[in-house]
Amino acid sequence: MESYEFQGKNTQDAIEHARRELGLPAERMEIEIIEPGSAGIFGLVGGRKAKIRVKIKQEPPDEPVGEESPSSIPSVKPSAQETTEGVEFARSSLEKILSLIPVETAQVKSEQTDGTIRLTISGDSSGLLIGRRGKTLDALQFIVNRIVNKVFEERLQVIVDSENYRQRHHDSIVDMAMKLSDKAKISKKPVSTAPLNPYDRRLIHIALREDGEVETKSRGDGTMKKIVIIPRKSSSGQPGRARSREDI
Amino acid sequence: MKDLIEYIAKALVDKPADVAVKEIEGEQTSVIELKVAKEDLGKVIGKQGRTARAMRTILSAASTKIKKRSLLEIIE
Repeated sequence: MESYEFQGKNTQDAIEHARRELGLPAERMEIEIIEPGSAGIFGLVGGRKAKIRVKIKQEPPDEPVGEESPSSIPSVKPSAQETTEGVEFARSSLEKILSLIPVETAQVKSEQTDGTIRLTISGDSSGLLIGRRGKTLDALQFIVNRIVNKVFEERLQVIVDSENYRQRHHDSIVDMAMKLSDKAKISKKPVSTAPLNPYDRRLIHIALREDGEVETKSRGDGTMKKIVIIPRKSSSGQPGRARSREDI
Repeated sequence: MKDLIEYIAKALVDKPADVAVKEIEGEQTSVIELKVAKEDLGKVIGKQGRTARAMRTILSAASTKIKKRSLLEIIE
């Protein structure tokens, strides 16, 4: 594969140089950061240029490529440009990490909606990459988020998924929330969950927000907190509590 | 293992040139020592050690693959 090196005052600038020079869309470039560059002290002493290495990927057969010529680049809005670069950068970073683990068979597909980049890993190492309770997948997601948001000024959210784990996990959390709220309603006592991360807690709060018979509260310190599901005293026990699942 | 940590660390810090990774291989366990510039220490550790924890999780997944154990030590 051909590879070129580019410099710029920061990584984004270097990527922009590469786009202009090669006249290629960001999707066809595999970007590796050699040197992120720094402004130095007050932009005076010790400033270093950012350096990147770009490899050109084979043309995807079904995509018309000719339309993005160097002359058309200035007309593209900077934010839109940054996001396509963001997606590609996120994907190549994850691919690089996977290749070093090493899981050769893993393939990464990327898509984006607004500021959210979704990377989906497929291949036979999914079990290893998801880990117990998605631990490894969360770690990969966290690291890729860090790497991407270091390079791009625009805040980008990266979701790393495999084998539809995120959706399955969402369903199981919501399912658990429903079961615990039933328990709280029947026993008329608060029920508490295991310590959960902020993302999972949010899912439970949202799942039970519409339920008038219980309220949810986070308890504890730090990132891992428990949620206490508390049955509301009012109106419960009245004949009209048709919303309870027990009555259905 | 060494390359994995080196890649991640270099992508997270401001001074990738100062990243040094050493792998001390034992029979069952290898220790990976990561050294970064003083200013970058926070970047590889993260808030409440989250970044360090994530790196250790990825490292342990990678070690399972080769049926070994690896420890990540961040050296000041």
